[in-house]
Amino acid sequence: MLDAGLCNYVVVSYGRSALSSGIMLRMLRESKTHEGVFGHFGATAGYALAARRAMHTFRTGPETWKQIAVGQRKWANLNPRAMMHDRTMTFGDYYNARWLVEPFRLFDNCLISDGGRAYVVTSAERARDLRHPPVLIMGMGQHNPSCDIEQATHMAGPTGAQKAGDMAFRMADITRDDIDACEIYDCFTYTVEITLQDYGFFGPGEGEDWFQGGTIEPGGRMPVNTSGGQLSEGYFMGLTQLTEAVMQLMDRGAERQLGPATSTKKPEIILCSDNGGILQSHSCTIVRRS
Amino acid sequence: MGYDKPLPILNEDTRSFWNGCREHQLRFQKCTDCGHIRWPVSFICPKCHSQHTEWIVAGGRGKIYTFVVYHVAYHPGFEKDLPYVVAIVELEEGPHILTNIVCCSPDEVQCDMQVELTWDDITEEFSLPKFTPVS
Repeated sequence: MLDAGLCNYVVVSYGRSALSSGIMLRMLRESKTHEGVFGHFGATAGYALAARRAMHTFRTGPETWKQIAVGQRKWANLNPRAMMHDRTMTFGDYYNARWLVEPFRLFDNCLISDGGRAYVVTSAERARDLRHPPVLIMGMGQHNPSCDIEQATHMAGPTGAQKAGDMAFRMADITRDDIDACEIYDCFTYTVEITLQDYGFFGPGEGEDWFQGGTIEPGGRMPVNTSGGQLSEGYFMGLTQLTEAVMQLMDRGAERQLGPATSTKKPEIILCSDNGGILQSHSCTIVRRS
Repeated sequence: MGYDKPLPILNEDTRSFWNGCREHQLRFQKCTDCGHIRWPVSFICPKCHSQHTEWIVAGGRGKIYTFVVYHVAYHPGFEKDLPYVVAIVELEEGPHILTNIVCCSPDEVQCDMQVELTWDDITEEFSLPKFTPVS
């Protein structure tokens, strides 16, 4: 729209009283006719079906997912706006939390939040005159396997992330080695693992080793979900990831700012993902400092 | 006490399947052009877009593609069943069907486990296709 001259600015926003209105919980409990008949409801169980198939297909499970939950919580502890800012999490806390739909425990699930996010898109030329330093879009990709989870055979990968990622990398004309941090759609811990795996950061089943030793945490070599993400900051759909990437590249991250403040590399390029349905749609966006 | 869980909703798409279940027949649409056997019921073939179909009766054997164990009842009717297993079963005829694994402990359930059909007659009008491990 900007290129075609149809408009000069696009505001992309999300806002919802998802927690206090109870609307998100109702959505999570709804079911299609023949699923409810068998006691199958909502997103947690849908993703748990995918995660269980992955456990059967390659080496993964709670040993991998606990590192995602705990790692992201450490970022939330540096973010005063995060719902979980004041609550630390150990591997013991992860294991001691109750089962919801096995193989998912409580902390494999994202939060339900009141709040919103917004960003403004304009031309690079116009953006250079604005008060904040602009962040440039380098590449985008989408792929939507779209098949109903009941018939899906992509639940243990490759999900839409593989083709969407390839497309975004090609457009950006960079490789994974150029990425300084990732903001990955994290409705569940497993979503983070399968997305990074499908982007090629590690091979199937290598996630447990890759995450080990605080890879994604403050001080780590590949920071992931630096606001705490949907697991520990709050759930604002795909805007959770994109707005955090933009804030980091504008150096507006305060305590959680990537760079010397968190013993990480000052970021030039950040990769963001978004995901819909039960791994049925996927988009990847790569952004960089101007 | 009456049946307190959600019931199948009958419409033009679903009626033939659930009527088959009442007669303890697991019926699926088969595309008469490309041969693809599909579920759920749909107007056109998801493989070749043909509208020509016939109904086949599945043999009721398959293996567990994936499964979960519910420890929370999202509907009050399922509270007394906790913990219970929801699975996707890959039938020998091809379709994957969402169902329950019954007559065994959730701890015994595994992916790729061979299972066979058993009928749960929940009301006079409805029987649900569920699966149990092959003994």
